[in-house]
Amino acid sequence: MSSPPDTDFNPLAGLAALVFPGAGHLVLGRTKRAVLVCVGVMGLFLFGLLIGGIDSIDSKNDRVWFFGQALVGAPTIIVDYVHQSQFKAADPNNPSIIRSGFPGEQRVIQSGQAIWQPLTPEQIESGMGPPNVPGLGRINEIAMLSIVLAGMLNLIVFLDALMPTPEKTARPKKEEGGNA
Amino acid sequence: MNTLAYTPFIDALPLHDVWYLLIVPMTIFLAIGYKGVRTTHLNRYPREVVIFIVQILGVMAVLAISFMILVNVLIPMLAPMPS
Repeated sequence: MSSPPDTDFNPLAGLAALVFPGAGHLVLGRTKRAVLVCVGVMGLFLFGLLIGGIDSIDSKNDRVWFFGQALVGAPTIIVDYVHQSQFKAADPNNPSIIRSGFPGEQRVIQSGQAIWQPLTPEQIESGMGPPNVPGLGRINEIAMLSIVLAGMLNLIVFLDALMPTPEKTARPKKEEGGNA
Repeated sequence: MNTLAYTPFIDALPLHDVWYLLIVPMTIFLAIGYKGVRTTHLNRYPREVVIFIVQILGVMAVLAISFMILVNVLIPMLAPMPS
């Protein structure tokens, strides 16, 4: 019976994996795996962002989804910060409500606070509107799911970086016909 | 001033008619990342990625066909709608 492979415990690599996908394996010196992991996790992340827009990461309105998305690390935190600070504003009727813009509104800064201001028909006709168009229905769900999948994948990557198994090399093929 | 022109990564893409095709790139990226960690020998990596992609898409296709038969054929047979 073969014994299970030895595992090392590497908290620095685990921490690096949580900060950015693939960084943990880079700390371990496994550059090729780090690149493959980064392509996989960041590919899912950017694909979700591409189809759903910046609205697919929202720590306020989609909090449960955000917990899964946050497993990607710094990219999710940065995108959410930009979303909350640059693309949302207060409702003009109830300034305590911070929300995304509706069609026919523009984001203006009044006395240091961002607020949605209704546009005139002429302004709407000229193409003005809110800074982003949120995804709706299935597209929004698939975009959020893609980024959550990236987070789940990075959780596996994190565990592999935290407790890495020794790198295996392929066995050389036996030469046929002996040493002759 | 903000205009309504499409901005990548900021605005959503209007892909409502082809939403089911979005599983293909998601599966590819998932396989690339997952097999990057789980493959024991990296020289077998490309083959394992392709097998994983085919497995996921194949099972999804079988599930889709099964549910289509269930909803469109079996359920109307078992519980026909009153005319």
